[in-house]
Amino acid sequence: MIHSLVWVFWLLMVMVFILSTRNPIYLGTLLTSLFILGHHLSHTKKIKNWMLPNLRFLLTMIFLSTVINSLFSHVGQEVVFTVPQQWPLIGGKITLEGLVYGALNGLVIGALYILFNIINLALNVKQITRMIPRAFHPIAMSITIALTFFPSIQKRAQEIKEAQMIRGNPMKKISDWLPIFIPLLVTSLENAFLLAESMTARGFHKQTDLRTPKNLISLILGGFAFFSGWVLQLYRYPRAISLVLYAFGAGLILLTLYIAGKSSQVTRYHQERWKPADMIMAFLIALCLFGFIYLKWAHRLHSLNYSPYPHLICPTIQVMGLFFSLLPLIPILGRQHDKN
Amino acid sequence: MIKIKNLSYRYPLGTKNVLDHVSLEIQKGTLTLVTGASGTGKSTLLRCINGLVPHFSGGTISGEIQVFGADPIAAGVEAMAQTVGFVFQEPEAQFIFDTVEDEIAFSLENAGIPREEMERRIQDALQIVKLSHLRTKNIAEISGGEQQKVAIASALVTQPMVLLLDEPTSQLDPISADEMLKFILDLKIRLNLTVLISEHRLERLLPYVDFILNMCADRTVIFGTPQEVLPFMEQVPPIVEIAKHFGISPLPLTPVDFPKEDFVQARLNLKKKQLPTVSTQPICLSIEGLSTRLNDHWILKDISLQMARGEILVLIGPNGGGKTTLLRSVLKMIPCSGRVELNGINAENLRFSEIIQEIAYLPQNPNDLLFAASVIDELKITLTNHKQGFEKLDFKDFLKPFGLDKLGDHYPRDLSVGERQRTALAAVTIHNPSIIFLDEPTRGMDYHAKKRLGTLFQQWRQQGKAILLITHDVEFAAILADRVIILEEGQIIFSGAPQIAFTEFPAYQTQTARIFPETGWVTSGDVIPEI
Repeated sequence: MIHSLVWVFWLLMVMVFILSTRNPIYLGTLLTSLFILGHHLSHTKKIKNWMLPNLRFLLTMIFLSTVINSLFSHVGQEVVFTVPQQWPLIGGKITLEGLVYGALNGLVIGALYILFNIINLALNVKQITRMIPRAFHPIAMSITIALTFFPSIQKRAQEIKEAQMIRGNPMKKISDWLPIFIPLLVTSLENAFLLAESMTARGFHKQTDLRTPKNLISLILGGFAFFSGWVLQLYRYPRAISLVLYAFGAGLILLTLYIAGKSSQVTRYHQERWKPADMIMAFLIALCLFGFIYLKWAHRLHSLNYSPYPHLICPTIQVMGLFFSLLPLIPILGRQHDKN
Repeated sequence: MIKIKNLSYRYPLGTKNVLDHVSLEIQKGTLTLVTGASGTGKSTLLRCINGLVPHFSGGTISGEIQVFGADPIAAGVEAMAQTVGFVFQEPEAQFIFDTVEDEIAFSLENAGIPREEMERRIQDALQIVKLSHLRTKNIAEISGGEQQKVAIASALVTQPMVLLLDEPTSQLDPISADEMLKFILDLKIRLNLTVLISEHRLERLLPYVDFILNMCADRTVIFGTPQEVLPFMEQVPPIVEIAKHFGISPLPLTPVDFPKEDFVQARLNLKKKQLPTVSTQPICLSIEGLSTRLNDHWILKDISLQMARGEILVLIGPNGGGKTTLLRSVLKMIPCSGRVELNGINAENLRFSEIIQEIAYLPQNPNDLLFAASVIDELKITLTNHKQGFEKLDFKDFLKPFGLDKLGDHYPRDLSVGERQRTALAAVTIHNPSIIFLDEPTRGMDYHAKKRLGTLFQQWRQQGKAILLITHDVEFAAILADRVIILEEGQIIFSGAPQIAFTEFPAYQTQTARIFPETGWVTSGDVIPEI
C-alpha cells in the first residue's frame, strides 16, 4: 500500500503536467501511462472492466470537444467544409485547426477525468477524509457522517416509497412524491438529532477553534501574501517576488493549521505509516515536480506549448517532455517494490 | 454509587416537570430496571446520569446528581463520557462509521487515547462482546443482535463504571433478546458494572434485576427491590399478575419460583384448554409454493398458507427469518414465484392497485406513512389515493375505535408512539380492506398502548377482517392469535394453534405456559378468566 499523501503528491504532479501542455504527443503518452496504471490498479483490486468505460469517456470527450469547437470557432486556414452562413451560431468555415484544437481540449479533459478516476481507485473515501487537517476535524467528521448517512437515506426513501404505494399512492406525478419527501426529511432530521446525541454521549466536542485572534491574523496574513503574489504576477513584476510571496502565504496558512491541529486532543485510530518506499517515491515526485516547474519557468520546455494556430504544424518533442509524460507510472514502481 | 437528590427537570418548551423531586441511591455493581408508562421520564432520567440532560437537551434542572463522585450537571457530557456508557434504543441510528472497529474507536479518539492503547482496548471490548471475528465487517451487513453488541462494545471501550441502556431489546426476537439480557447480566458481574436498563417488556428482565425504579404517571417514583416495588406496580408481567391475583407471597419472578404444586391443587381446576376449532369462514388469502430469492439467497422457500376471514394469524420467528419479505412478496413489492390467491382470484391477474384495495399494510415504522397536517387529513389522503369520496364520511366516528376521535385535528407527528401507530393504522384501513398486514405494531409501546391496540384488532376480527400480525412480543401474540405460524430461515416450521406454538417451542413459550405446562394455558386470562 502506497501512503495516501504520496498519492496526493502524485496527483498534484500529474495535474500540473496535464494543465501545462497542449502537445498531443505528450498528452497521448501521458494518457497511455495513466491507462497502464489504471489497468494495473483495477487488476490488483479485482475491479472488472475499468479500461473500457474510461476509454469510452475519453473518446466521447475528444469527439464532443472537436465537434463543438469546430462548430463555434471558425478561425483557421485549412477549411474542411463550410456550414451555410445563415445557420445561426454555427454557420461558417469548419477548419482543420479548429478540429485539432477541440480534440486537444478533449484530450486534456479526458486525461483529468482518468487521473481522478485513478485516485478513486487508489484511495477510498475514508483515506481521503483522514487527510483533512486536524484543525478541520469537524469537517472531516461531517463528510464521514454524510457518507454513512447516504446509503441509509436511500434505504429509508425506498421503505417510505413502498409504504406510500401500498397506501394507494400511484407515484406518477411530481406531487405524488411529497409523501416521500416529508417523512424522509423529518426522519432524517430525527436521525441526525439522535446521531448528534450519540456523538455527544461518546465525548465528541469541538476540539479546536480556528477563530481565535492569533489564528485569524495568521490566516488573513497568509491569504493576503498569496493574493499579493498573484496580483504582482499579473502586473508582470519580477517572478521571484511572486514566488516568495506564494511560499510565505502558503507556508503561513499551513503552519497555522498545523499548530491549531496540534492543540487538538483527538487521536486517530487509523494512522498510515511512512515506509522507506513511500519516502523514496515522495522524494522522487517532489524532485520531478520542482524540476518540471523550474524547467517551465526557465522556458526550457518549449515543446509543451503546442497550438494548431496560426498554422497547423507537427508538434515538437523533447526528451524531458517525454520523460515527464511517463511519470504517472511511478506508483507501479512503488507497488513492485512492495511485492519484493 | 449513583446518588440522586431532589432532581427535577423540565424540557425547554415544556409546561410541566418531567422529573419531579426524584431521590434515590443506586449501589455499585447492581442492575436496575427503569420502568413505567410512555412519557413518564425513563429516558430523561438516564440522560441526566450522563449529562445529556441538560447539556444537550437544554431545559431547567434542579437538585443534585453524583455519579461515582462526579456531578454530570456541572461537569457536562464530555467529562462524563469516560464514566458513563450509553446505549441508545435504535443502534443503527447511533452509528457514525461503517465498520465495526471504526465505530468502537470513536469514543477513544475523542478522549485522545494513544493509538497503541486504542488497539488493545478495541480488542478487549470486542472480546467482551464476543465479536472479535467481526472487527473489520461493515455494520450494515451484521444482524440486529450483533449491531446491539457493537453499540455496547462502543460504550464499554472507555471502561465506564456505569452502563445505561435505553430499551436494548425492543428490536430483537425473543431468543436474541434473552441472549442479550443474559449477556448484559454477565457483563455486569464480570466488570462489576452498575447497569440501568429502561424497558417495557418486564417479563424478560425481571429475573435478572436487583432493583426496580418504577416511574409513575403522577411523577412519583417507587424504588426498591422487585419484591418491594412489584406489589405497587400497575403494569406487571403475567406471572406477577397471576401471583398477585391469588395473593402469593413472595411474588415469583420466574416460572421456576412459582409455587406450582400447592397452588394448582388447592385453588385451580386444572382443565386442559381445548384447541380452537378450525375456522369455517371463507378463505380470503391463499399462498401456495411461494419462494423469494434476493441477492442470490433464498429468503423464502416454498411457503404455503391460508387465511380465513375473521382470523388473526400471528407470524413469529427470529430476525432475518423472512417474515417481512413474505408480506412484501404477497403485495408484489418484490418478485417471487408461486401462487397467491386473493378472495379466490389469482393475484397474477390483479393489478397492484386492486391488491392494495383489499390488503392494508402497516410497516414497522409508522412515521413512514405520516406527512399530512392532521390526523383527518391523513385519512382523506388515503381515500383520495383509492379514488373514494369522503364527503359523507364521519371521520370522528371512524376514529373512535382507534381512540383518536379527540385528536382528529392534531399534527400526527406530535402524538405519542401509541397514538402515532394508531393514526397510521387508521390511515391504512380507512378504505375498508378485508385483509390487514401488521409488521411489529407494538414496538416501543407500553402495556396500556398495547392493550388498546389489542382491543382494536379484536374488533376487526369481529367485523370479519383477516389480520396477519408479525410480532416478537409473544405475550401480546398469545392474547390475540387464532393461529400461529413460525417462520425460520425462510421456511414454515410450524403452523397451528397458539396453545401448541406457545407451549411446545421453548423459544416462544409464554410465562403462563411455562408455569402450567400440559394445560394449554398461554395467557394470564386463561388462568384467571376475569382478567
